[in-house]
Amino acid sequence: MMKNIFTRFLTIACALCTTAGIQQASAQKNESDNGSVTTTLTPHSKDGVFSSTASYTFSVNSTYKNDEVGKVSYLVTTETGKKVRADSVKVKIGANGSGNYNFDIPGLSPGFYKINFMVNVSDYDDTTRKAFGIRPTEIRSQYGKPADFEAFWRQALSDLAKVKPDYKVTELPDSSRDNRRVFLVEMKSLGNLTIRGYLTEPITKNKNKKFAVLLGLPGYQVSLGPMFGTDPDIAIFTINIRGSGNSKDVINVRRESYIVLNLEDKNRYVLRGAIMDCVRAVDFICSRPELRHDNIIASGGSLGGFLAVATSSVDKRISFCSAANPILSDIRNLVHEVDWPFIDIGRYVKTRPGLTMDKVLSNMDYYDAKNFATNLECPTLVGMGLVDNIAPPNNVYTLYNNVRAPKHVIIFRDLAHEIGVKFNVYEGRWMRDTFALF
Amino acid sequence: MFMRADGCETLLHCFKKKFMSLKKSPLKVLLLITILFTIFQNSSFAQGGFPVRPGRLLISPAVSYFYANSQWDSVGTLRSFPNKGNFTSYGITLHSEFGITRRFAAVATLPYVVNQYRQATAPKTTTTSGLTDLETGLKFYAFNIDFIYYFSIQATAITPMYTNNASLGYGEEGGELKLAFSGTGHLSDLSTYFNVEDGVRQYFGTNGPIQDRYSGTFGLTLDEDFLNQVSVTVSGIYSQSNDKSFSPVRTLSNKDFNFLQASLAYGHTFTPEFSVFINGGKFITGRNTGNGYIGSLAFIYRLDYR
Repeated sequence: MMKNIFTRFLTIACALCTTAGIQQASAQKNESDNGSVTTTLTPHSKDGVFSSTASYTFSVNSTYKNDEVGKVSYLVTTETGKKVRADSVKVKIGANGSGNYNFDIPGLSPGFYKINFMVNVSDYDDTTRKAFGIRPTEIRSQYGKPADFEAFWRQALSDLAKVKPDYKVTELPDSSRDNRRVFLVEMKSLGNLTIRGYLTEPITKNKNKKFAVLLGLPGYQVSLGPMFGTDPDIAIFTINIRGSGNSKDVINVRRESYIVLNLEDKNRYVLRGAIMDCVRAVDFICSRPELRHDNIIASGGSLGGFLAVATSSVDKRISFCSAANPILSDIRNLVHEVDWPFIDIGRYVKTRPGLTMDKVLSNMDYYDAKNFATNLECPTLVGMGLVDNIAPPNNVYTLYNNVRAPKHVIIFRDLAHEIGVKFNVYEGRWMRDTFALF
Repeated sequence: MFMRADGCETLLHCFKKKFMSLKKSPLKVLLLITILFTIFQNSSFAQGGFPVRPGRLLISPAVSYFYANSQWDSVGTLRSFPNKGNFTSYGITLHSEFGITRRFAAVATLPYVVNQYRQATAPKTTTTSGLTDLETGLKFYAFNIDFIYYFSIQATAITPMYTNNASLGYGEEGGELKLAFSGTGHLSDLSTYFNVEDGVRQYFGTNGPIQDRYSGTFGLTLDEDFLNQVSVTVSGIYSQSNDKSFSPVRTLSNKDFNFLQASLAYGHTFTPEFSVFINGGKFITGRNTGNGYIGSLAFIYRLDYR
């Protein structure tokens, strides 16, 4: 009986599979019969930055066996979505034909813009979304920094100095690899909170060897572990700021709550402590005889990029700053450009009686990356993606333009909140040259 | 919304890749490459136009062998040495560089040679040996382009370590100013490097020649870890003096001559501190100079003192 049921089930299953296969093959055949349209957008600038007129070629290729009639158009908006320019051309693409359409967009003010290219023809509609910049070196924020910005951070450093670090270094022999020793580092930071990080050092027979240090700073709510690599010249210290990774003894909040923690009081805002945690990490580096105290690179992406800029600004012991996609730059202009963190901030404001968005913005002026940038004295590398919707290019470039130290920016035309290998390679080269690690 | 913050995770990965890239970056080539210098019958290996790390001592003892049994005469015609003669030179060269600061490095080269000329008639064998010209200099790392191409300037003093021995050199002090240009690149998946340099040297004595010494090297690393490398070098000297005489017995003291030579080198890096290079080469053309073959074996030690 069971055997019969199983045989019948197997037969039905095979029949269904066969039918499905035939249907799939049939669908593919129909699609192949119908044809398709593909588009290619070619910006006439490697990094999507133009000195005056933005220029693109939009190519449309059709494999349909009939004429495709319609239009090709573009729409330029500001980063906040305000329409700036639009244009279209009527197109008729023959069977198995193609067309190239050149668009020049002159007369735009300095800044970054979003641009959508649309193709709407008989059998096909599609939109390609990109961004471009016009003379970004002229971008400036209309908002200055608070008059007591430096005094505010001097006070923070002074408060940190009153906290005895109580460094505790524990070797983790089981974690050793890549010819590196691994240490768990614990220390006290602002507010007497315990923060932790991992130090990995190359094993060397040279007792006089001193290592340059890469201080790795975490992205938002990212837990950093020990970092490895076979480079014999560089020690890596990854720090988990308060509320991140293994530094959650006191601050252990939900992901969306971290960025708003104590935002109503600039002296208690969580990022004040987080930045001081990074300074404490530099204190630790400078307490170690085997580490070079004049060859410290602060490096990170996203919140880590912000922390790299902020820490390098308030702590001149850092000799190289590398910030990829730094967030929280030109915050007052950021409010209407990005959802995060302002949706969370908006919710937080509603739950705090008497707290207003104006008050929040006044507090955040002390945490604006562009305001830290003016005090940077070390070589600074900035990486950005043109279609980044967390660290928009206008805001990142405002930060970059505020840097008066030797600086370099690498723009990734087609990337969002990330950077490409080119950034890493350039960072390695520049850092090695700066630290004379030839 | 927090999917956006996942971008941070991506960055974390980038960050991890970043450190790995320090090891794999083309700049790492710079740490292990060594440029061959074959001028006349001595060879040495050095950093070329690349800067030297402060506190790093590069020591390169090399042994070299040179053989010639023909010469290009004063109009560049190739002919055998008279009386079936041949010239053999064994050399030991100690070259060292020390990074003083990020910009400055001290450079020194001390060659010792055993020169032997044999011919069919008496005196059948003439042998001379001794230290030749000590070169001490200061190299200045001028600038770079995108941390890929490096330019340096080097000033060198030439001090003869012998007296009244024309077989070992001019016996005159001299000075040299040299410009060097080095860089790294890629050829398919392999890393490449090059070095181009040109130095003008003036000897200060009677009829002391003025010389243009030039060299061009192109090298290729054969593996990802830069353990094996090959390079080809073309180098030469254009020397001008009122003293037009030529002697195959005293090749080091001929003053008015020129030659072009080519050589091929293979290097293996055993540890970051120790490499070995072998090199073979040949003169291609010349005037008032011997037509020789050269081979050398060099050891490179990199010692860090900071």
